[in-house]
Amino acid sequence: MPLAFTALLVLVSFVDRVQEHSVLVWSFWGSAAALLAWQGWIFVRMKDVLDGQAFAVVLRPQHYLQATLQIAVFVYWGWYWRPVYDYAWLLAAQFVFAYSFSILLAWARHRPYILGFGPFPIVLSTNLFLWFRDDWFYLQFLMIAIGFLGKEFVRWNREGRRVHIFNPSAFSLGLFSVILIAMNASDLTWGLEIATTLTLAPRIYMFLFLIGLIAMYSFSITLVAGSAAVVLFAWSWLYTTMIGVPFFVDSEIPTAVFLGLHLLVTDPSTSPRTPIGKTIFGILYGVGVIVLFWGLEVIGVPTFYDKLLAVPLLNLSVQWIDHLAHSIRSSSTWQRIKLDWTPATANLLHMSAWITFFALMTVTGRTDGRHTGDSVPFWQEACEEGRRNACDRLTQLQYAYCADNSGWACNELGRHLQEGRIVDHDPDLAMGYFARACELRFQPGCLNVLEPERRVTARPRPIDFRVLLREGGASLADFSEQELYERACEHGWEFACEAMVSRSP
Amino acid sequence: MREHRVQQPKESAGRSPRQLAAIVFLAALVLAASMWAHRDSSSAVGPIQAEVVLPPASSSGDLSGFRSEAWLLPDDERLGFVEIPAGPFQMGSDPTLDGEAFDNERWMHTGGPAMVELGAYFIGRYPVTVAQFRAFVEETGHRVDPEALVGPLDHPVVMVTWPDAIAYARWLESTLRQWPDTPETLARHLDAGWTITLPTEAQWEKAARGDDGRIYPWGNEPRRDRANFQGPGTTPVGAFPCPECLYPVSDMSGNVWEWTRTPFLPGPYDRNASGEPDLNADALWVMRGGSFGDPPANVRAAIRGGADPGASRPFIGFRLVLTEP
Repeated sequence: MPLAFTALLVLVSFVDRVQEHSVLVWSFWGSAAALLAWQGWIFVRMKDVLDGQAFAVVLRPQHYLQATLQIAVFVYWGWYWRPVYDYAWLLAAQFVFAYSFSILLAWARHRPYILGFGPFPIVLSTNLFLWFRDDWFYLQFLMIAIGFLGKEFVRWNREGRRVHIFNPSAFSLGLFSVILIAMNASDLTWGLEIATTLTLAPRIYMFLFLIGLIAMYSFSITLVAGSAAVVLFAWSWLYTTMIGVPFFVDSEIPTAVFLGLHLLVTDPSTSPRTPIGKTIFGILYGVGVIVLFWGLEVIGVPTFYDKLLAVPLLNLSVQWIDHLAHSIRSSSTWQRIKLDWTPATANLLHMSAWITFFALMTVTGRTDGRHTGDSVPFWQEACEEGRRNACDRLTQLQYAYCADNSGWACNELGRHLQEGRIVDHDPDLAMGYFARACELRFQPGCLNVLEPERRVTARPRPIDFRVLLREGGASLADFSEQELYERACEHGWEFACEAMVSRSP
Repeated sequence: MREHRVQQPKESAGRSPRQLAAIVFLAALVLAASMWAHRDSSSAVGPIQAEVVLPPASSSGDLSGFRSEAWLLPDDERLGFVEIPAGPFQMGSDPTLDGEAFDNERWMHTGGPAMVELGAYFIGRYPVTVAQFRAFVEETGHRVDPEALVGPLDHPVVMVTWPDAIAYARWLESTLRQWPDTPETLARHLDAGWTITLPTEAQWEKAARGDDGRIYPWGNEPRRDRANFQGPGTTPVGAFPCPECLYPVSDMSGNVWEWTRTPFLPGPYDRNASGEPDLNADALWVMRGGSFGDPPANVRAAIRGGADPGASRPFIGFRLVLTEP
């Protein structure tokens, strides 16, 4: 069977998507060669051991159900961000690789392979958060392999059983994240794009919430996901109230974090099993994301690693959390308030509380829909007022909008770089942004190319508004000018409000 | 397929840290090795800083007459810069004399041409060539459409945007300011604060037709032996001699349209306008001269076109001026 999977991997390497890039082809062939060599070694050295061993078929719902939910996310997200669908063959190749690798790993460890859907959630969960670019795709195979190796070798005794410590995908994601951060090599991956394009799918929070309910009902993960979400929502509210600007730029919880707390952190075998333990685990995940987001931002590292780095640390803390949960459960206070619900009843009650909480967050505009942080004028004003991180957030937004071809945003970035007040003075880079603005037909950009010291500016044009007002979604290509000005007014662009007044009969 | 009893692998509690370390080390090693192996092929982040890989240069093109040690600039005493003396010239078209004149060549308030006074300046004898532009890209890593770099080396560079043209001009000015062998005339003017940039459309037009109001650089009739128009593609710069031209500049008619540093307005000049373009309108910049593919009417010295500054087209190039700021 591993040979068949290896042959399939080679076969997939002949599809157009792979053939169009030589490194991809070599990544596939190199991985296949490694698998083949391993098979040869097992055949020669371990033939007697293998004799009589083969497979044990076990279909676990937590594997195929979780995989189904993850595939649903890929399908929905990919409908609005096509690189996901373009990636389908590469994802399929990872399944093939994962099966072959895990079979060989089991045999090398002198035991039969448990055939089921186990590799699916590992591969899908890894790919929901990090892909290597085509030039580096062999590292994607390595990442999958590391996940299985971590599951196989990094184990401890827990509750009398020898079990793996780390969530396999979170282990490899965490490990690769640390290495990528240390080597300042985040651009080798699609990590940033993945973290920011989930919002292109409309009502993504509602979608994730609904599929999360299925996972919650099936695997009793409500307390983990719910408590993490409550911590993050509460922190966002508190921070905004105290500082005056949102903590997570343009959301109360970044969509990728919301995805992570439903489908990454909730692996039942690497998280606590008691209600108290799950609650602590979820709370710590929320706190971990907040601390990591802040820390990564401070050291100038892309913040999309926040949700990835927290999980392995929490996995390592599980035994401590178990002890803490046990202490709490044994305390006299807990014994007094303890409710004798069955686990199923308790889970339904937890889900009810979560549904109520999410509904409250939704009706108060804290999930899908417009967010204060989507408004460029908000950040401009906050920056002028000297609010914490506001100028950094403003330039981050303008960078994103410039990359989306807003000439206005490129010109503003150039002005900041030329002025050197809210970012470091860099006339060469400023000229690059002015040139980009000019190429996008934003006239002040052209004038600034000629005389950068003038730092000419003007209002965004309707074509800029199609990007500036998209609120994390797709470009507003089908909006009329009137609709654009209405939305611009709602975002705080005063001239747009005046233009609407002057246009009204 | 048979089901078997699953054997627990033999493990000891003390092995996990070592195994964890081994896996971490393995991953780090492979990642580090990969990055080292590919250290020259990684692409930079963002839309501005992408690295440039030069396509192979075309082997065709005669580079005699250009100085290899001077960034392939023309081999003459001023590196190809021709002086245009100060004085007035007739700008725009007089429809009574030029039946081909388009509306946007007519002076806005008189409906005809007008006299425009210009100070002295120097203008490139030829449009900037592929070889010259390649030298710039090789030296600076400036990101450009690769198609700009693949033409015959002595042809005018095309597929360059307006900011590309400005970037080349800025680089050449900086280079000549620092070069000890910069010809004395150029060095003196640069020291006096003159700048190398694109010509205004007035500077371009005066260099093309002089001060006597002629329709083409050589006279009032189109001549196929004087310019590259209605042809299949670009030709080497200076391939069409023009003894009748008032100034020793080539390719002012045809071959490639040339960027200028004048924002496009409906007429050549508007005395009542501030000179500043409408900042809220989409940018258009003037290009002059017509190209190899145009009919005779479009290679007249007064012809004006407005182009998207981000457009890189196979019929748009540029030449430079040395002028007072």
